[in-house]
Amino acid sequence: MTSKANRRADVRTVLCVLGWLALLCAAPARADWDVQQLLAELAKAGPAQARFVETKYLKVLKTPIESSGTLTFEPPDRMVKRTLQPKPETMTVEADKLVLERQGRTRTLRLSDYPVLWGFVESIRGTLKGDLDTLTRFYNLELTGGPQHWSLALKPRDAKMARVISGIAITGVNGRIRTVEVDEAQGDRSVMTVVDR
Amino acid sequence: MLRGARAAVLAWLALLALCAWAAARSHYTADMSAFLPRSPTPSQQILVDQLREGVVSRVLLIGIEGAPVEQLARLSDALAQRLSQLPGLAYVNNGDEQRLTADGEFLLRQRYLLSPGVVPERFTAQGLRAALEDDLDLLSSPLGTLVSRLLPSDPTGELLRLLDELQFQGGPPKREGVWFSSDGQRALLVVETRASGFDLDAQEHVHASIRSTFAALAQEQRADSARLVMSGPSVFATASRSAIKSDASRISTAAIVIVFVTLLVVYRSGRVVGLMLLPVLSGVLAGIAAVGVTFGSVHGVTLGFGATLLGEGVDYAIYYFTNASAGARERVLERIWPTLRLGVLTSVAGFSVLMLSQFSGLAQLGVFSITGLVVAFAVTRYVLPHLTPAQLTAVPAVSAGPWLLRIVGRARALRWPMVALVIVSIAWVVWRAPTIWDDRLESLSPVAAADRELDERLRRDLSTPDARYLLVVDASSMQEALQRAEQLGHKLDALQTSNAIAGYDSPARVLPSEATQRARQAALPEPPQLRAALDEAARGLPFQANLFEPFLKDAAAAREAPPLERGSFTGTGLGLKLGALLVERRGAWLALLPLRGVHDPSVLTGAAGAIPGVHLLDLKGEADSMYRGYRSQALLFGLLGAIAIVVLLLVTLRSWRRALDVLLPLAAAIAVTCAAFTLGGRQLNMFHLIGLLLVVGVGSNYSLFFERETFARSDRGLTVVSVALCNFATIMGFGLLGFARAPVLSAIGGTVALGAFLSLVFAAILESSRAPRPD
Repeated sequence: MTSKANRRADVRTVLCVLGWLALLCAAPARADWDVQQLLAELAKAGPAQARFVETKYLKVLKTPIESSGTLTFEPPDRMVKRTLQPKPETMTVEADKLVLERQGRTRTLRLSDYPVLWGFVESIRGTLKGDLDTLTRFYNLELTGGPQHWSLALKPRDAKMARVISGIAITGVNGRIRTVEVDEAQGDRSVMTVVDR
Repeated sequence: MLRGARAAVLAWLALLALCAWAAARSHYTADMSAFLPRSPTPSQQILVDQLREGVVSRVLLIGIEGAPVEQLARLSDALAQRLSQLPGLAYVNNGDEQRLTADGEFLLRQRYLLSPGVVPERFTAQGLRAALEDDLDLLSSPLGTLVSRLLPSDPTGELLRLLDELQFQGGPPKREGVWFSSDGQRALLVVETRASGFDLDAQEHVHASIRSTFAALAQEQRADSARLVMSGPSVFATASRSAIKSDASRISTAAIVIVFVTLLVVYRSGRVVGLMLLPVLSGVLAGIAAVGVTFGSVHGVTLGFGATLLGEGVDYAIYYFTNASAGARERVLERIWPTLRLGVLTSVAGFSVLMLSQFSGLAQLGVFSITGLVVAFAVTRYVLPHLTPAQLTAVPAVSAGPWLLRIVGRARALRWPMVALVIVSIAWVVWRAPTIWDDRLESLSPVAAADRELDERLRRDLSTPDARYLLVVDASSMQEALQRAEQLGHKLDALQTSNAIAGYDSPARVLPSEATQRARQAALPEPPQLRAALDEAARGLPFQANLFEPFLKDAAAAREAPPLERGSFTGTGLGLKLGALLVERRGAWLALLPLRGVHDPSVLTGAAGAIPGVHLLDLKGEADSMYRGYRSQALLFGLLGAIAIVVLLLVTLRSWRRALDVLLPLAAAIAVTCAAFTLGGRQLNMFHLIGLLLVVGVGSNYSLFFERETFARSDRGLTVVSVALCNFATIMGFGLLGFARAPVLSAIGGTVALGAFLSLVFAAILESSRAPRPD
């Protein structure tokens, strides 16, 4: 090879290496996936219907108690948790209203009257809805993991709420929630596992 | 001066001094409660008492508007805090959780005495087992967090039951933790004053403190656009009072000025005018003194009415001076006194209608007017002649005589138009008769429509319910009232279950009777037995060991605790409710049970009949029937007064025709005035009715002079001048009242002014149509 050809080959090699390096750098950029994208994916998922199993570890009880039923979400803000075991009970949340039906009695609450309960409801509903504004209003968010398997940690921002709930951890796969774990400040804990129907 | 004359003048001066002294010592008030009835039925008395002194009268609704939500919330919090420091306020609530927490803590502490769920069966092993299983269900539900905190002290769920019963949910929506109207435009607060609603001085002081506190706050927080609005019965009462006070002074001043200036223009002599005002001012002074002595206090409305007295009382002096100028005084006096005397008597008969009224305010007006007119007449008759220099003339006035006479002569042409007008008016009134009366009690209130709308808006925002039906329990002691309320409550529970009523409130729900509290204490087993029952109930359930120690401790303490009484609730929201529903009145105790959603009141009579001392009160119906009763009464007395006047005229004039000469113009005037005031869809209220009846008394002063023989015998020129002037003065006096804000003044003023004018016009027309046509 002539020296000119040698030099051209060198340049091409360097360009190839540079290009390949560039590609390598670009790949982590795609993997730099954040809360907004996660919530966008969740929002796209639209209405959801799932079965749940909830285990509560309460300080007042020696053994954990378990309940199970169905969970439905209809955008923009209607969520229905229908417990079938051990005793039937339905909790419906729509906009600012929470309706609890058990043993034939209906109890209606206005969420804005109970800020802690409101925050707790929004932790799930806001996530299902993909509503970043509502979530950040109540919580500081921390996301770990990737799109295939992610974990969103919610820490209450309001001091009054932090006295009741110390943190909520929501894990999911792709655009679906898998578990919701609530840690109460007093030591009680609940773990809800969600299975798509 | 002759001896008799001197005696008369001295007597007059002495009377004036006496009246001035009495007037100065009288107490002046502008309290609208003078327009509440004097001797009502027991139900009405309850209504009136509640309006006057009940908690309802002490509550103020406050709104803050004109700023963004966050700023309003901050203002609301700061205001609530500062208002809590004010000594004049017993209770302040802006929806803040702290307040709810304080009440909730009270309920928690006292739950075993307060909760109706505390019965012996609940605390047996089976009862406790059922409660614990229920708790397990609740723990797995979304209420689990709340329940798990309460569980160790309250496994039987008494607190939750109490919160349900006392309906702690509900109330206005909240933003930023404080109450707001649903559109977020207004932050809301509720306060209760210590002073009663009708202690207006204290109330004004409290209102001023609230406003100044807010102004200081708004400045500190640089919220320039924020506004405070306030409403409540005491706000209405103080506003009415200032309106009446300012109206009374404005109108009286205007009346004096106008009449004074007119007389000056006509008589062109300051001395004459001064002399003319003497009888009136004596009359006003005597009237005030009479009212002060008879009633103990003089109402601002009465003083406002003084303006009308001026218009009427000056009549006598006008007749006197106008006639006195034309020749020998004694003959003049002989001619006119009989007529004037009859005029006084008819006016007195007319105003006496008011004296018989149930409203002490109207009775005052009656006493004031009658005393004033009689004294004015007496002073004109017996004192004025001695004070008037002999050479006084009123020539400028008299020169208008012939000119006026010509006009009266031409009035003949209006005879048929007048008849037509009267017929049309009667037809119109008859056609409108079904809807002619404004039956709402509010039509009597001087509160401006804007203020009433604000009140309605604030009440809607705060969701304060409008109770129409009320069960009232009468008892000789507080405990008896509570016990009867509890018995009644059982019956109402049954009605609620069968959906005959939507719900009810009872003071016994807040403060159970002592007997019930003791029964609840007895329902709690002794500590060792309770422990044994609990252990058995919890066997096999996953509760932690020794979890319920706090419960056992609380139950043991509740067994020994002293029973709750009224004073235990001061400073809580429950105390406010208790104060509204359990009242002491003249040694007896009343428990009030407001009902909600009553479709058919007849189902309540069964419940009410079974227990002694229970009445059903239909607040709206009661108020309306009270009003209709007074209106019928006013109509009755008015007719009696009219009959008295007719009899008086017949006896004095001794001829049907002459009496008719006097009465026909009045009847025509009443018909046309009535029609005029119902034009444009307007309705008449009770005060219009009174005004129409007064037209008979007042208008007769003019039609008397046009009666055939009186007119024939008099110097017609002088007569028409005097009558025209008097009429003008009367119209000024009553007409100015028409501009007052209080319906009691404006309605009476307007009708009498128009009626008096028409009386004169119709009397002139009728007279001229009697006279032979001039050739």
